[in-house]
Amino acid sequence: MSVGTASLGGRGGWQVVLPLTLPLVLLVITVLFAWRAPGFLSGGNLTSLLLNGFVPLAIVAIGMTCAVAAGGMDLSVGTALDFASFSFVVLLNAGHGLGLALVGALGAGLLVGLFNAGLIAVLRISPFLATLGTLFIGTSAQQLLSDGGQPIYIAADVRPGLTSLTLLGAPLPLLAVGVLALLYGVILGRGRLGRELLAQGTQPLLAYYSGLSVRRIATSVALAGALACGVAGVLLASTVNAYVPLSGNAFLLNAIGAVFIGTTLNRQGRANIPGTLLGVLFINVIANGLLLIGWNFYWQQVATGALIFIVLAFSFASRRLAG
Amino acid sequence: MSRPDELLLAAQSPDTTRRWPVLLLRHGSLGVFALILLGFAVAAPNFLTPGNLANVFSQSAILGLLAFGLTCVIIGGGSNVVAGGLDLSLAANLGLCAAVFSRLNNAGLEPWLSVGLTLACGLAVGLLNGLAVLLLRLPPLLATLASMNLLAGLELVLTENTVVPTDAALLDLLSGGTWLGVPALAWVLLVTAGLLTLLIQHSVYGLRLYAVGEYPHAAEAAGIRVPAYVLSSYLLSGVCAAIAAFCSAAFFSGSTTGSGEMLLSVVAIAFLGVVFSRRWVASIPGTLLATLLIGFLINGFQLLNISSFWVNGVQGLLILLVVAASSALSRGEAS
Repeated sequence: MSVGTASLGGRGGWQVVLPLTLPLVLLVITVLFAWRAPGFLSGGNLTSLLLNGFVPLAIVAIGMTCAVAAGGMDLSVGTALDFASFSFVVLLNAGHGLGLALVGALGAGLLVGLFNAGLIAVLRISPFLATLGTLFIGTSAQQLLSDGGQPIYIAADVRPGLTSLTLLGAPLPLLAVGVLALLYGVILGRGRLGRELLAQGTQPLLAYYSGLSVRRIATSVALAGALACGVAGVLLASTVNAYVPLSGNAFLLNAIGAVFIGTTLNRQGRANIPGTLLGVLFINVIANGLLLIGWNFYWQQVATGALIFIVLAFSFASRRLAG
Repeated sequence: MSRPDELLLAAQSPDTTRRWPVLLLRHGSLGVFALILLGFAVAAPNFLTPGNLANVFSQSAILGLLAFGLTCVIIGGGSNVVAGGLDLSLAANLGLCAAVFSRLNNAGLEPWLSVGLTLACGLAVGLLNGLAVLLLRLPPLLATLASMNLLAGLELVLTENTVVPTDAALLDLLSGGTWLGVPALAWVLLVTAGLLTLLIQHSVYGLRLYAVGEYPHAAEAAGIRVPAYVLSSYLLSGVCAAIAAFCSAAFFSGSTTGSGEMLLSVVAIAFLGVVFSRRWVASIPGTLLATLLIGFLINGFQLLNISSFWVNGVQGLLILLVVAASSALSRGEAS
């Protein structure tokens, strides 16, 4: 019996430690960089880290969180992002005004989501393979639309300048992340849809036999993910004042990584919005800090890869110890 | 000796009435393949010339070898893409191995030593992935995603993001050699496919690997050492990446950047190959056919002067068609 209580006590200990792993590691590397890397804490560096690194990846990763929480995966996040950014740029250049361009961009992103939803909910293709197909078709479509990958620039007189706007002292892109994180976080963490989605993600058969509509859940997930990617597409296009074909795919693997790093924040290992945001911050802080320390650029990639590996390994090992 | 999948099929569905739609679709997919070939043969007169066919085979070698590696991992880990077997580090492993070989060869090492060390590099990556999956219990998707980043970084360190040209007798043989009129790269593809087919489809090892992937608990209860088989599938995958690296180095006369871009094509080919197997599972012959199908599509488009921009889209549509058909079929069988 004493063995049982001892191991129970141990488990309790791990359960307390596990969700703290990621915040603690993030804190330690931030302090390390603040100490060792000149200019890490300067306003300019932090602004650039947040606006150029954190914002687009965070928005894409928020969309990915829904897909992973529901037990799936979305490989076409880049496609939705690119389609939104393409529509945004084309509509602006055609002189339709910012409002219509925004609506068109989000619509184009949602169209990709709708396509995925059809594949997943109606044709019953697994989300991974469905979105893989979408990714390939999206790649072709963009190559054909852009003559093999030529960027389309926004004409100087219709540049939206969204990224330099501030509201109550906060830059608009950061506010967009905040609003999306709050919205998706509340839906995932508090709402009925979020509960159904997590049920589907953790116990798909149980969810099915409890009468949950698998189709409705799959459709909401695909549309929610695509909407977030649409927002990211608009922000990216107005940051670089252009549509750069196939640029969205750069976020795919990091977004998956961030979401799964973020699952360590949850005791049951579920995907969650706060964890995802910390995961994105983790990836960006490492990349930025190593750059400032003055490491060889190529070794930075190795170190980033190794650190992500270590955090994942540690968190999964401790989750196993926690039972 | 029956083939493993025949044994499993016999054990699973004794009633033959359900099998005809499966058979129709399997032969249907072969029929579609034949139709595509026929279409290109009619439309492009030089499509079926031996020279062009040899060209397609050797150009498919690199993708095919990587897809074989992924196929082994999928068989040993199960076909569930999130929790089952998956190796996202294959393309990065190729990049790293090609860089290792080019650097070692340029440093003046004995040829056999550079070849051996490159193979060891591929194997080591397989070992790393396998151990991360088995010991750290990381889902394969995550473990190989993380190692992919690591390998891409190591490749950058070795190449400093430039092309590293190299010159070796082995590479000359691979890029220029022919035997019986068939180019060396095509031989590498076919011989590897043959050996792996013997190993995976026709041996006790292969039968057990399928069992470990699809029914791990049953396999364990039957006394199969599941971790050893899972580990071996990642080692096979690492070797495939190293062999593909030699082909890539021969094709480009050294190591090139951007090998990571092949990853999603490799994943698509491995899952597309499922349609050519009897039981809708990943298999080496199926993957070979899928590789060649994509190779013929790209080649046919070139001959017909259709923009290569269409290739990805056609590939995507093929995947969706295949998977939709297979899921409709399995629903039909379940009800």
